Amino acid sequence: MTQPQLESLVASMRTGAVLHSGEDQALPEQLTELAATLPEIFGAVEIGCLERIASKLGAEPGSDMFAEVLLLSESRVHVIHPLSNRADEALLASAPASRSIGLLLSQVHARAAELAEAEE
Amino acid sequence: MTASGLPTRMLSSIPASPGLVASVQRLLSYIDDLPIGATGALHFGDQGVILLESRKICWAVARSMRIRLTDILRNQSTPPLPRERVEQIYRRCKESGTPIGEALVASGLATEAGLRAALFKHNGEAIVALAQSGMGPDRFVDHVKTGYDPKFSFTSCEVLAMLGSFDDMARAAAAQLELGGMLVQDSVGAAFARNSSASGALVIAVSAGCNFATADLIGVCNWVSSLFDIARTFDPEVFVARANWGGSVGLVTWRLKDVGYLGLCSSRAAAARLLSRLSERAGRPSGVLLRGERGDEPA
Repeated sequence: MTQPQLESLVASMRTGAVLHSGEDQALPEQLTELAATLPEIFGAVEIGCLERIASKLGAEPGSDMFAEVLLLSESRVHVIHPLSNRADEALLASAPASRSIGLLLSQVHARAAELAEAEE
Repeated sequence: MTASGLPTRMLSSIPASPGLVASVQRLLSYIDDLPIGATGALHFGDQGVILLESRKICWAVARSMRIRLTDILRNQSTPPLPRERVEQIYRRCKESGTPIGEALVASGLATEAGLRAALFKHNGEAIVALAQSGMGPDRFVDHVKTGYDPKFSFTSCEVLAMLGSFDDMARAAAAQLELGGMLVQDSVGAAFARNSSASGALVIAVSAGCNFATADLIGVCNWVSSLFDIARTFDPEVFVARANWGGSVGLVTWRLKDVGYLGLCSSRAAAARLLSRLSERAGRPSGVLLRGERGDEPA
């Protein structure tokens, strides 16, 4: 299977600003727009609600809040992957919908791991 | 409305007005805030009472109610059950302390499903009447045991959905079918609409087992509703979203016509199955069951 055509960047979940993108690449327009919506998406979450619901569903207390948000559209798959070692930052990725989502997520997780290593 | 399949003549004429929805939500929140396992009688002065077992609503009655459970049960049949037979059982129950509904089931005059639907309507009408009375709960009296069958008790989410369903009964019935058809094992769900009768999401249907605090359920519905609105500003074709949080918990949300749906999954595997089911229906290629989400390896 070929690698999904992955576009990615790192953005601030607090301000929506793009903080880091691929080497010398033009910023993907749709991802930049997704980045701009992050403060609205995560600002609207009532964390207490989600924590109580997670607890009722059997989640362990103190678990990380968002691991990932996946948006599926007719033509694209978008991923918001909050970076565990960078407060208020998320890796955003997008690929054509025709590609394997599993493979796309593997690439996102690998990219997040690279960013974590670079941080250390 | 989990007690689905209500015959048309059982539909309530209660209007889901903004003030009424807010009043009922306040009342249900009071029940949600009682200690886990709260069993007893929640009194509303001289206006009425709600009997609870482990915070589930077993029985509610309000002074201003105009319908009686026996009338609802009698009118479930065509022709209606003979009044004398029902009253005979009622008298026996009064002497023995047996709940009338369960005695009617035992006698064969009513089915379990019919009794549940009738109790759902009766209790719902009582709760609405109590909310309308303006009298808040003034005391809760603990009971060791109520003796009610859990099959005939209702969560606050179910009552909330029943009230929301009055806004458009056909839409609520369709939403109930959608939840029943799409939810997977290890998931529960809710359907909601946006309506002027509620400041945010109006919950119109819930699946069996959806037993969260009503304020929490509404909070999550509001969030996924805004998630869709926001996502569609940069990609108008977004049709389903999934969020994983709390370690193993997953949420899947989708829209169909003007109704939003929410599947709350106790495992990521369940969330992946639900996402896969929705994707297949939308004609997307398979491959949505994500690596690491079969429940046996970390995602």
